[in-house]
Amino acid sequence: MDSQSEIQEKKRKTSTPLVRMIDIDKFFGKVVALKGVNFEVKENEILGLVGDNGAGKSTLIKILSGFHQADRGEIYFEGNKVHIHSPKYAKRLGIETVYQEQALAPHISISRNVFMGREPTKFLGFMNRRKMDHDSLDTISKLGLRIKDTEAAVEALSGGQRQGVAIARVLYFKAKLVILDEPTMALSVKESQQVMEFMKQLKSEGISVIFITHNIFHAYNAAERFFILSHGEGLADLKKKDTSIDHLIELITSGRRE
Amino acid sequence: MRIFSYKITFTIIVFIILLLVFIFFTPNHIFLKTENLGALGKLMPDLGIIALGAGTLMISGEFDLSVGSIIPTSSFVFVKLLEWGAPLFIVLLITLLTGALMGTFNGLLVVKGNLPSFIATLGTMMFWRGILYVACRMMPIGIRAYLEPGLWLENMFTGTLGNGFPVQILWFIGFSIILGLIVHFHRFGNWIYVTGDNKIAARAMGINTDMVKTVCYIIVGVLCSFMSMMQALRLESFAATQGIGYELKAIASSVVGGTSLMGGIGSIPGIFLGTLTIQILENGLILMGAPVFGINAFIGVGIILFAILHINVERIGLR
Repeated sequence: MDSQSEIQEKKRKTSTPLVRMIDIDKFFGKVVALKGVNFEVKENEILGLVGDNGAGKSTLIKILSGFHQADRGEIYFEGNKVHIHSPKYAKRLGIETVYQEQALAPHISISRNVFMGREPTKFLGFMNRRKMDHDSLDTISKLGLRIKDTEAAVEALSGGQRQGVAIARVLYFKAKLVILDEPTMALSVKESQQVMEFMKQLKSEGISVIFITHNIFHAYNAAERFFILSHGEGLADLKKKDTSIDHLIELITSGRRE
Repeated sequence: MRIFSYKITFTIIVFIILLLVFIFFTPNHIFLKTENLGALGKLMPDLGIIALGAGTLMISGEFDLSVGSIIPTSSFVFVKLLEWGAPLFIVLLITLLTGALMGTFNGLLVVKGNLPSFIATLGTMMFWRGILYVACRMMPIGIRAYLEPGLWLENMFTGTLGNGFPVQILWFIGFSIILGLIVHFHRFGNWIYVTGDNKIAARAMGINTDMVKTVCYIIVGVLCSFMSMMQALRLESFAATQGIGYELKAIASSVVGGTSLMGGIGSIPGIFLGTLTIQILENGLILMGAPVFGINAFIGVGIILFAILHINVERIGLR
């Protein structure tokens, strides 16, 4: 009985996508930002969300993370219909967004950044600093990031390491879906590589990742599936084995389905 | 956040150098005489208590220029309540509440009105001072007529312990410890830093930055009221000119103590030491025969030197 329900649970998990957005419309005044977009993220996958400027990538993501509400359409999370009305609610569902440069406070220690707004306390709201230092170091090393001193200020870190700290935060707080908005922008080649390693690490922890980027090469390197937006509409949804870098570039620049 | 960062190490060094200079070079080593230390102990907490609040607010990324008006206004309320013969603990409570309300008003103006704090509190500074001048008609009010000497309220603020140890110093240390615990060890302290350092990140992580800033303004207001009572009792009177210039001196103390004008950087031990440094500089220079009315010139130079050094120390520290 028990094992059977376990199997069923497993089946449900593999068959239902983590997120399903159906027929999403979004208008800003008269401007059509999204039109009839159908978007899916499976359990435990890295999805590359690509498209040119103004294609609607960030609008779509902001709807998913609760900053905007869709004008039409439905969202399902783990098979249940949800109405994501606020960023707080998105967080409660397990959807975490990591924005570049917006995630960290530079002059504050790494551990304090990891626990920003969710500090563990001992009594009367006083922080459990030992736990903060220990757990943040633990999570950061899980990502494969070598940092010795979590009391150091974030400004002393490289761009890639900073992304690591921001990603460690969502890892620690058990996100189910992590949205990375241009995490490799303004990073060196080596640092970008490091950030893509972080994504693979998140996946190995059972977390799904939406990787938003302009850089097709980065997307192709890290993601297993690609969702291409163009002028507010879903243009293509391709598995890695069914496409190539040239094919993706062709799709994005032409803006047409073949 | 390390409490003893390179910035405060630097302040400590300057403080010690000043201390040594004044100990050795004031005429007859007057600096170390009990009378001088006693006077310093009574005077220093006035600025110190204000600076603690102003510095904490600066860490959260805002200024309060209205402290120089909150001080005399709550002092006026305090003396008027004494005049009406209200029970002493009611006097204490309502005076503190005055500062809290004025702080709340400043905070709401800044966060709800979306105003730069410099402008908002410049406005409230002038507004309250104008109201106060009309209300008190610029007349000083003596306290002695309404308060017998030796009551608990007076002893609490301006009493002495043992052979002349001023209780004011204990309040300054006490507030430093309380604020130090909050700013450096409490989660609210972390919110103060994050709010000042990266407000967008703080909001994204669910921190109510408006609440954080308003609470910091309230802390400033309450400390102003507290200090206004302490000062009025020491001077045994209310004067309409009380508190003038404190807003900038408090900011100066914070900056000397390593607090950033941009928010997100600073520490309570730093602000404590910054106040000590400025006060000792002022006191020592006067003892060494610097012209009393020209003393601000020296302090001005000192502040600028400190700011230059801090900026350069920071650059080197980051390398």
